[in-house]
Amino acid sequence: MATRSPTRLMLRDELYGFAKSKVMIVLWVVLPLLAMAGYLLLPKEITNARGLGGLSATAFVGFLMSSVAGTVAALMVAVDIVSERNRKVYELFVIRPIRPEVIIWAKFLAVFACVTVACLVSLGLGIAVDAIRGSPPRGSELYDMLKSLLSLIGVVAMSCSVGVVFGVMSRTILVAVILVLYVGQNLTIVPMLPVYLGWLPDQFWLVMAITAVLTGLLVVAASVMFRRAEL
Amino acid sequence: MAALVQIENVRKKFYAQVVLDGLSLDIREGEVFGYIGPNGAGKTTTLKILAGLITKFEGTVRVAGHDVLADRNQAHAAIGFMPQACGFQNWRTVQSALDSLGELSGVSDELRAKRIPALLERFKLLDARHKKVKELSGGMTQKLGLIQALLHEPRLLVLDEPLEGLDPPSRNLLKEIIRERQHAGTTVLFSSHILSDVDDVADRIGILNRGKIATSGSIRELVTDFGLPLEIELELATPPASTGFLAELGTATERRPGEWRIRLADGTAPDPVIHAVIEQTLAGGGMLRKIGLVEPDLDDLFAQYIERGHGN
Repeated sequence: MATRSPTRLMLRDELYGFAKSKVMIVLWVVLPLLAMAGYLLLPKEITNARGLGGLSATAFVGFLMSSVAGTVAALMVAVDIVSERNRKVYELFVIRPIRPEVIIWAKFLAVFACVTVACLVSLGLGIAVDAIRGSPPRGSELYDMLKSLLSLIGVVAMSCSVGVVFGVMSRTILVAVILVLYVGQNLTIVPMLPVYLGWLPDQFWLVMAITAVLTGLLVVAASVMFRRAEL
Repeated sequence: MAALVQIENVRKKFYAQVVLDGLSLDIREGEVFGYIGPNGAGKTTTLKILAGLITKFEGTVRVAGHDVLADRNQAHAAIGFMPQACGFQNWRTVQSALDSLGELSGVSDELRAKRIPALLERFKLLDARHKKVKELSGGMTQKLGLIQALLHEPRLLVLDEPLEGLDPPSRNLLKEIIRERQHAGTTVLFSSHILSDVDDVADRIGILNRGKIATSGSIRELVTDFGLPLEIELELATPPASTGFLAELGTATERRPGEWRIRLADGTAPDPVIHAVIEQTLAGGGMLRKIGLVEPDLDDLFAQYIERGHGN
């Protein structure tokens, strides 16, 4: 058996692989800078509006990341899985004495971690810009900010799990992209459906718990499909 | 020798296409087994089942006593597999690929630190150690595929077309390594279309046709069983007055001007025929440049086998 745990080893390798990729440079550096540039170019009527509380840099980045991060995460992982499987990369791992599911979990955790870091960097930059402009987040806003951040992380996790499922199911990159864009993004609202339909009370932590459970189930489903597939 | 690999009555279909149809085969510990057959016979499917890449099949496959499905990890620990086409992640260097794959196979840090450079040096890839795998040529990637199979010194090496894409010196090196591994006790199962190379290294061969082992045994045994004819090859420096006598000695064919092959009838001893060719050439005023006995090889065996439709 492996000297280190196979899961740790695969996760370390996947994190390294994604962190080195050009996509992560865009997510960690270019996107936050573009977001700030976009915010600073917004008309003052929007950023300083009275009565509406104005639009802080943190909130602007939050909106931007919530619309982009999930899609990027799902696409990254789905395309990566399809591409590597078609190039027969996984054969050399599956023939070793490791569980094939480890490959899928490592992919999911690596992309989730990298995109979450991108969200934190962007939000951190937003907070910094607000602080520089003299309106750092106040005590009462911090709890709401934390909930927003956790919601965002939940969306990223759910999107990654959807991306993993479609990556395992799809034979070509085109099919994976279509599934992610047209089906996957709609699936991320599933955790909130019980609340919208009135089946469950509107409680933030309940929705977070449903998101976590659904994410786990999707990754498990993807792992089972991957193990049963013939490479 | 006990069987290290036991394949019993394996059946495999892809959609409606039957690829393996009751395949049964034993491979003895310590032997080099050449697995040959026409395109589409099921060679790669067999090797993938052994390596665990195909898990839906009927029948039983055991490696070192472990069922490849039920005792997956124990079976895989005994196998070093080189697929027909090796893929590596785009971001990996040669060193990182071997490091990770070696560690996943259970090779300790200390052993990897010794074996990786030694194997890279042997395959003349040491200079490419820190290069990205995607920058390597096809042949270099093929060698890397073989190195990852050798790294954990498995009991069984399963090689799918290992010689494809290699230049002649690399092919000779690979054959040398196969022989060395055999002397060290490793069992080798490999498929190849380059029959002369299989002939060079294999102790036994199995001919797969239409999903079944059509025949197996040592090349010598198969040639004798199949009754392939002996041939005499000669080259005339100066032709004699008439070459009609050659047709009386056997089925004579002139391949190129002055170069002849005489196929001997069943049961004909070659030495008297060689003597007669020399005598009659000289009597006719000719001169011989070369004469010798050509024994059937694996190419001849395989061609005849398929031509006669055995296993159909």
